Amino acid sequence: MSFSVNFPLFCIVGSLLTAVVSSVLGDRWARRVCMAMVSVVAVLNGVLLGYLTGLGRSVSYTMGHYPHPWGNELTLDSLEALVSVVFSLVLLLCLLGGKAQLQRDLGDRKRNLYYVMAALVQTSLLALVYTNDVFTGYVFIEICTIASCGLLMIRQIGRTTLASVRYMIFSLIGSGLFMLGVVFLYNITGHLLMPELKQTLADLWQSGLYRAPLLTGMSLITIGLAIKSGLFPFHFWMPDTYGYATPSSAGILSGLVSKGYIFLLLKLIFRAFGTQVFYGAGIHHILYLLGVIGMVVGSVSAIREDDIFRMVAYSSAAQIGYIYMGIGISPDLGVTAAVYHILTHAITKPALFLASAQLTDGAGGSKRFRELQGAAYSNWVAGLGFSVGALSMIGLPFTMGLIAKYLFARAAFQSELKMIPTLVVLGISTVLNTLYFARTILRLYNRPKRKLAKPCPVRRQIPYAVSALVLSGMNLLLGIVAQPLISMIEQGLKQF
Amino acid sequence: MNQWLLPISVLLPMAVGAALPLLGKKSHRTLHLVVLAALLLQAVFVTWLLLLPQIELPLFAMTDTLTVSLRMDGFSKLFMAVAAYGFLAAGIFAFRYMEHSQRQESFFTFFLLSLGAMVGMALSSNLITMYLFFECLTLLSMPLVLHDRTKESIRAALKYLFYSVAGAFLALCAIFFLARYCTTLDFQAGGSLDPALAAGHETLLRVVIFLGVVGFGAKAGLYPLHGWLPTAHPVAPAPASAVLSGIITKAGVLAILRLIYFCVGPEFLIGTWVQQALLGLSLLTVFMGSMMAYREKQFKKRLAYSSVSQISYVLTGLFFMTAQSVQGGLLHVVFHACIKICLFLVAGSLIFNTGKHSVEEYHGMGKAMPKTMIGFTMASLALVGIPPFNGFVSKWYLALGALRAELPVFSWLGPVVLLISALLTAGYLLPITIHGFFPGPKESVPEKNNEGGPLMWVTISVLALLTLCSGLFARPLAQAFGAMAEALF
Amino acid sequence: MLQTLWENRIQCVAVLIFAVGFSTLLLHRNLVKKIIGLNIMDTAAYLFLTSIGYIRGRLAPIIVGTDTDPSHYANPLPAGLVLTGIVVSVSVTALMLALTIRLYDQYHTLNLDEIYYMALREQEGGQ
Repeated sequence: MSFSVNFPLFCIVGSLLTAVVSSVLGDRWARRVCMAMVSVVAVLNGVLLGYLTGLGRSVSYTMGHYPHPWGNELTLDSLEALVSVVFSLVLLLCLLGGKAQLQRDLGDRKRNLYYVMAALVQTSLLALVYTNDVFTGYVFIEICTIASCGLLMIRQIGRTTLASVRYMIFSLIGSGLFMLGVVFLYNITGHLLMPELKQTLADLWQSGLYRAPLLTGMSLITIGLAIKSGLFPFHFWMPDTYGYATPSSAGILSGLVSKGYIFLLLKLIFRAFGTQVFYGAGIHHILYLLGVIGMVVGSVSAIREDDIFRMVAYSSAAQIGYIYMGIGISPDLGVTAAVYHILTHAITKPALFLASAQLTDGAGGSKRFRELQGAAYSNWVAGLGFSVGALSMIGLPFTMGLIAKYLFARAAFQSELKMIPTLVVLGISTVLNTLYFARTILRLYNRPKRKLAKPCPVRRQIPYAVSALVLSGMNLLLGIVAQPLISMIEQGLKQF
Repeated sequence: MNQWLLPISVLLPMAVGAALPLLGKKSHRTLHLVVLAALLLQAVFVTWLLLLPQIELPLFAMTDTLTVSLRMDGFSKLFMAVAAYGFLAAGIFAFRYMEHSQRQESFFTFFLLSLGAMVGMALSSNLITMYLFFECLTLLSMPLVLHDRTKESIRAALKYLFYSVAGAFLALCAIFFLARYCTTLDFQAGGSLDPALAAGHETLLRVVIFLGVVGFGAKAGLYPLHGWLPTAHPVAPAPASAVLSGIITKAGVLAILRLIYFCVGPEFLIGTWVQQALLGLSLLTVFMGSMMAYREKQFKKRLAYSSVSQISYVLTGLFFMTAQSVQGGLLHVVFHACIKICLFLVAGSLIFNTGKHSVEEYHGMGKAMPKTMIGFTMASLALVGIPPFNGFVSKWYLALGALRAELPVFSWLGPVVLLISALLTAGYLLPITIHGFFPGPKESVPEKNNEGGPLMWVTISVLALLTLCSGLFARPLAQAFGAMAEALF
Repeated sequence: MLQTLWENRIQCVAVLIFAVGFSTLLLHRNLVKKIIGLNIMDTAAYLFLTSIGYIRGRLAPIIVGTDTDPSHYANPLPAGLVLTGIVVSVSVTALMLALTIRLYDQYHTLNLDEIYYMALREQEGGQ
């Protein structure tokens, strides 16, 4: 079993190779190879998760025979393995569920390129999750940016290209700031590996030297990642990006890529800055504030949309706000809630995007709500998938959303200052979410006067049906029996 | 072995309900038979459960602190029985009423699902479980409001959902707080608030509990979250309005009862501003509901306003926090369910047979539909609280409890408001009877019809007789509830 | 104050250049100019990074003679980082330019605002 510590490296290199190989394969084979790789990654990480949970501590994995503090390292612990498993699974389901739209949006020529990009996203996500080196983090942030832009611009219509340009510009500003922050920290500490960085930063913080540059460095990194993950007020690229991408890409970008950045931020907070320094510096108050505002602004914008994709995209902005709010509350319970919500959102949002795509296709391709009247009757699987996702977003019983809400509230009690605002905002956000998601569900299940589109039987959409049922099933299962997952997150955070 | 009856009685209606769409486009007869079988079986199960002592069954844990478990105590029995029998009556009526309606299977699906959720709520043994079922009940009963799929019903359903979710979140906040300040979230008579933990946070806790009660009160139509009720109940089909008004509103009552008497404990609230504020709200609702009903011309809407007022009778009883007042409240839960279902079924019958919605069109109806109108008269008298009908008994105990509470102002204001409201009730119900049986000389009398067949008028008559019988022989019930209420203090 | 500035003159210049790049990126509506701004920004970061790695009086980190004492050499890591960064920025620029070409083909302008309105109109026309 101890051999499984090699798996992350294998997975990263393997997905990179898959990307290379897929570029010369035909459509079909590229797809098969890519999906096979993602499944293998999920399984290997699952094995690693088992091993690390048993081991009960984190392992650092040195690469290239260079010892501390020069070499490049990976760190493995159960939380990272858990996140990787969920990410790989969701990636697989996204690719599976959006197959029909991929074929339509991409044309015949270069469908294999899509899988090249997907494999690259997988590579960079794994690297972001596992890396122990800040600069490696930067490199893979950039790779992730390029690959996700690739996923976006592969659909060749004007709005999408424009959205990719916007997305690219925002992402590059974000990664530029991130890099600048890294340089600041390196300048002061002389380290890029996280444990050394943490040690030096803690000493410096204690001594009171270089407060300003230290704070600048940490803030730059935080702002950079916040821009890239779409925290308010940097969420303006979201609706266009997710709204005009092909559904698989929208799912991957919203569910995984932005979460990858947040997870990297968490990792940096715990491993590189140290919670004492980070929370001592007070940056979390700003994150909390922005998160809280984002929750409300995102939902209000979603209410005003009449395009189902853009509505779901705006709801992403609100959900990102939840996560940052959790980070802002406290480093233990707050972050537990944030990580749980990362997983919730990673499972829910792709389901919503895929379902919306399937529904709009059934209704003749229009994304306007008016045309979607009664769409759930012509495609009951998609209707179900959308409803489960929407209920989870509202936070109703037996879905992950409720547990997430509970965890946030539990965390809120830790802080006298933030208790009341957190509860109030959770309430407002719940009501707003109800407003637009319930409205959508009602519309989907409301038979229109005119004739409905022909029902789409399940056997014509097996890939989507599988992915929708698995995503909904995961959502309900983890919402009903949540303790194992929460324990795993808590244990993982202790090892961090 | 008996303990498995608890989940079965929750799941039976839910399973049958969920399976109804699978019947496909079979004849309505099959559908009705299946639904009838499920309702009867449920009634039998519940009757069996009534005879058993307290049972408990932990089910599973969502997280370490959030556990789902069922337990049956006296209060569970009360609400469970009301739900099962009430749904049975409304269901039987619905077979005829819904005959020509489209989407019958969807109606009965959500009808049965709501019953399951309501029974689940009654059987919950801790706040978390109850909250889960409470939310489920909201979601599952919303499609009943939505049944006609008109613009009006969609707006009403959204309003219902909006108020309920907002209210439920207030309640959820209270639950979060209680999880911190109570020794356990399990229901314990007298409450489980930990005085050591709560010391120094009393004001905050009281605010939160107040908000929690107001939140749960949304379901019961308590001011200020009552706005959805008069909009949502009338747009549903009559049998659905009957259970919505008669039974599902009681979910709010049950939730408040559990919150105040089983988690917080009454002594934490007695004599504080929370009690006064809640009493103020509930008495305001009693008066306002009656007033609005008096002014309303559309029959079902009038009944819905009357529900707003009557449910707050029960809440007033709970908020006075004396054994008699709680006893009166509990009695009123049962009696009001019986009366209000009967009244809504009458409304359904009138609409079904004549297509008329406004009370002004009901002149002379006593000649056209005598059996229905006699039923209506009996139920009306019961709702006003005229002996020997059952409404009198519950109101008697309510007034007694209010006087015994020895609160400043409210102890005499309470009974006065209840009296005024009773007068208003007479004012908005009895004229229908009077004009129904004694139309003016110039008014045209509607033609006699068959009153919707035996399914309709027999159901109504049985319920009407029940209002009389339960009033005449209220003693055992009152004694049982009295013992239950005593145990709370 | 002045002396501190003078001692860190390279860093100060780097910050200035970064500001120029950032403002170009944000303020210009022309796509190509935006890309140029991006590159200027990157360059500033590299200058900053290189200046950290350079230590006056030390040798380039390549061993030619017999001198193996590490304290005589400058830190090689920043140079490595800069190289990596340059590669990244080249690929990003290429991607951005490709996107620009695609947009230009479709809309025959490089002004982002105009493109945006055209795309909006296109979409409304489509529905």
